[in-house]
Order: sequence, then structure tokens, then C-alpha cells
Amino acid sequence: MVDHLSLMTLHALLVAIYFSFLWKHGRRERWFYFWKVFGALMVGAVALGWLMYFFPRP
Amino acid sequence: MTEQPATSHPQPLFRLPLPLLLALAWLIPGLGHFLLGRRLRASVFFVVIAIAFVVGLVLQGELILPTAGDPLSYLAAIASIGNGTLFFVAKSLGLGQGVVTSASFEYGNTFLLTAGMMNLLLLLDVHDIVQGHKEW
Repeated sequence: MVDHLSLMTLHALLVAIYFSFLWKHGRRERWFYFWKVFGALMVGAVALGWLMYFFPRP
Repeated sequence: MTEQPATSHPQPLFRLPLPLLLALAWLIPGLGHFLLGRRLRASVFFVVIAIAFVVGLVLQGELILPTAGDPLSYLAAIASIGNGTLFFVAKSLGLGQGVVTSASFEYGNTFLLTAGMMNLLLLLDVHDIVQGHKEW
């Protein structure tokens, strides 16, 4: 449970729930916003990870 | 954003002065929203912030305090102390010392700082609700 992907997923989950309740009103809007934020965080992190592949370690 | 009918606006449980409301909201995550009658949102905020905080401690993160000569530590301290009572209770129990050699140290810091910043952001939301900038 202490691997990077699991912790990243948990973090994204908490942040997405938080912002969907902070900024959206109504069940439908919140669900939509939750998946949007959660997806953006997960896909963005994976995409950034792949992008960093091209930068060699010092 | 769709407009909600005026009758759906939650009513505050107590009429408290704004500074006191903000102080209470800072001390207990979600309490500000609870006192403003937003019970569901208050519960969700409390649970989310508490989980993030506890996970941060379990991952051996550090509750950062200001360090002289390290400007970034001031920003991190604001986020840490933003956890309110959770911060003080953890500190009094000797938790949140941070184990730099732990593989999960930075992950723990991330969760702790995120929890604190989420709680601080709630203060702005409480302020907006009280000032009438946000109706729900």
C-alpha cells in the first residue's frame, strides 16, 4: 500500500472529493467534477512521469 | 453554475461573529460549515482532511515548523499549522517528527501539507458564505 501509484491514487481521490464538495453543488455536478479532477490528476501524473523519461538522471 | 432556489439555502445553527467562526473553522476542519448549516459538506471536509492528516503521520511525514534561514519552511509551517487542532494534538503526542530516512517521508509531507492547505481554503469558503458571495 506504500507504493507510489497507490498513494498517488489516494491523494487524488481525497483532493477530488474535497474540491467537488467545495466548488460544486448538487449530486450530478459533483460527480462530474469529481471524475474530472480525479482523472486529470491521475492521467496528468502518469503523463508527466512518461515525459520525465526523456530527462536522464544526473 | 445553476442558480438554486432561495428556499434551499441552509440556515446557520448559530449567529457567530466572523472572526470567531473563522477561528473555530480553523481549529476543527469542517466546523465552520457545520455552524453555517452545511452539515453534509462539513462532514465530508472533516473526513477528507482527517484521513489526509492521519495518512501523512502514518507515512512518517513531518509537521514542519519555521526554521531560521529557511524561507520555504515558513510557507510549509503555515500549511502545517493550518491543520488546526489536529496539528496541536499530534505535536503534543510527539507525532509528526518526520523520519527523513524513511522511503515514505516525502509522501507523508505531501499528505500533511495538503490537509493543512485544504483546511485553510475552507476558511476562505466560510468567509465567502458569511459575506454572501456564495449562497450554498
